[in-house]
Amino acid sequence: MELFFTLCALPVAGAVWAAKCQHIESVRRSVTLLIWLQVIATAFLIGPLLHGDASLLRFTADFAVDRSAACFLLLTNFVAACSLTHAPTFFRNESEIAGKIIPPLHERFFYVSSLLFVLAMNFVFMADNLGLLWVSIEATTIFSAGLVYFSRDKHALEATWKYLMVCSVGIAFALLGTILIFASSQHGAVDGGSLNVRTLIGCAGRLEPKLLELGYIFCLLGYGTKAGIFPLHTWLPDAHSEAPAPASAMLSGALLNCALFAIWRVTELVKLTEHHAICEAIPIFWGALTALAAGLFLVHQYGIKRLWAYSSIENVGIMLVAIGLGSPMLFFLQALNHSIAKVALFLLSGNIIQYFGTKDLSQIRGLLKVSPTCGILLAVCAASVTGMPPFGAFIAEWLILAKSADAMQGISVAILLIALAISFVAVSIHVSRILWGSPKHELNQTSTISRYLVPSLLGICTIVLGLTAIPLILVKPQ
Amino acid sequence: MISGINLCVLCAAVLACLMVGSLHLRLNLFLYGVETLFIAGATVLTANAHGDASLICIAILIGTLKALGVPFFLLRTSEKLNVHRDVGAMITPPLAMHLSIVLFALSFVLTRNIPTPQLVVNGWYGAAAGISLLFTGLVVMLTRRLAIGQILGFLVIENGIYVFALTQTLGMPMLVEMGILLDMLVGVMVCGVLVFKIQKSFEHIDVALLTNLKE
Repeated sequence: MELFFTLCALPVAGAVWAAKCQHIESVRRSVTLLIWLQVIATAFLIGPLLHGDASLLRFTADFAVDRSAACFLLLTNFVAACSLTHAPTFFRNESEIAGKIIPPLHERFFYVSSLLFVLAMNFVFMADNLGLLWVSIEATTIFSAGLVYFSRDKHALEATWKYLMVCSVGIAFALLGTILIFASSQHGAVDGGSLNVRTLIGCAGRLEPKLLELGYIFCLLGYGTKAGIFPLHTWLPDAHSEAPAPASAMLSGALLNCALFAIWRVTELVKLTEHHAICEAIPIFWGALTALAAGLFLVHQYGIKRLWAYSSIENVGIMLVAIGLGSPMLFFLQALNHSIAKVALFLLSGNIIQYFGTKDLSQIRGLLKVSPTCGILLAVCAASVTGMPPFGAFIAEWLILAKSADAMQGISVAILLIALAISFVAVSIHVSRILWGSPKHELNQTSTISRYLVPSLLGICTIVLGLTAIPLILVKPQ
Repeated sequence: MISGINLCVLCAAVLACLMVGSLHLRLNLFLYGVETLFIAGATVLTANAHGDASLICIAILIGTLKALGVPFFLLRTSEKLNVHRDVGAMITPPLAMHLSIVLFALSFVLTRNIPTPQLVVNGWYGAAAGISLLFTGLVVMLTRRLAIGQILGFLVIENGIYVFALTQTLGMPMLVEMGILLDMLVGVMVCGVLVFKIQKSFEHIDVALLTNLKE
């Protein structure tokens, strides 16, 4: 209980401090310190769950974490910690290398928004109530809008507007879905109805089937918009590309997981009823289609961060397939590998944009000549995100494909394979163009080791994850 | 016999259809305010019928914040920016209004088979009104080009979902209801502030012209 309050209080305290304190250096330092404290507190909190001592930690009637939520909680805080640790370096380099003056007020606003954003994301995983889950997801939209709007130019404004409108309308449909699920529990299953996840799971068989099915579809549509499922993904590349690099990293590495986790919560419930076919066929097919569409979009990309944004959509598709297969383990494995590699890629892209002074892919050439460290790290993380062996994503994707084939989803497996192949080729071509050749114009200079600290640690993480997960494919998956 | 609750929500749905027929922001905001007042009224009647005191609290919040606060806020925004009329997009307002009326009828067909809890009398009307508001909100979003019109469309969709929840369930948990209301209000405020920024940067608030990021 105390740890639960610590988890809620830490970001709030940080946000208040960042809003009040005038001295930007001390804000940077204290936020970094605070977010790592948050990671440690989370690890302590969920320790019993990961050890297997408990299967559910309940804080209050409406807040609890189970094992899958615990894993995602830790991952989200870790992603946020990595991004916010890199943020001071990023902001310093913006003025020193790229020559952009960032007013301290804007930077403090960034820290306030990101800490509140982290808090909202934590609530997504801790909410044991579908209504509060919805409220938390909507709160993430509002707080992250402040991050997308960071550079305050025309492009940022357009991206923020699109983000707010598309996601709010999308999420409104998820609210309708939540209400339908609530209504389905009022037909004799629970006296007066309930939105509590455990209560609903306990009486899944007695929920009104028609309302539940409708509710599921609306939730999938609503949270799917937030996760960037094709064709509702239009906000995603704009928002990811206009936000500053540490914010893009959080949006891609943490926020998409939150939306997918909301879908998982509902799927978990419907799976227990007689009408479970609906929550298998639809997500698997839709996920495969999303991956294919994103793969095709990847071919013609003009912005470096848009490239990674579309690659995120592709991964969202794969994770949706894992959700459809009903396997929280595969879903988390894919999310973990994707988040870690993608955070590193977005942070590196921030560095590259500062070097070259442009986001335009056609202008970014010869990275290996300019900065070999950055080039090698980019190659490693890009390989990881496309699912090349021996990285963790390869194992996760392999298991997902194998399990889909076992589930007799032949068409979806074929679509997914084509999608993976296309995106692999597309990303490889784009990355090799970035790496080789020679720079087209004069570059912004200087390089410090601190700018590669977080990305290289994440790069090592992806390799370790891949190597330690190999036994998973050597034994037959359960 | 139509109950008071159903009468209120059906009136709200009809008012929303009327709103589509005009591009004047002031009239639109006025109609939205009255529509939301009807919904607040329906909430009070539901509170009476179910003997649920917490619903009265929600009704007061809706009546003050959503029916009066939000339209005033948007009206002030539009006056400060000196925009009084939307440009309109896709189809003309009269046609759009007729489309909303057709959708109003269609929502009765769509919701015919939705099961309602035994305690709810004539839940069909309420469900139809809710879905109709939702459709109308979508029509508003599609046929408006100004940022304020888009926000208004979103608010109508939200009203529709609220009406659906009010008439199809026996009261959502209070905590959830409050959270939803708070989120919506903060969302509208953030959008309202953004509208000012759009005006400052682009010198217009025509969101159909925000196409820099298209590929």
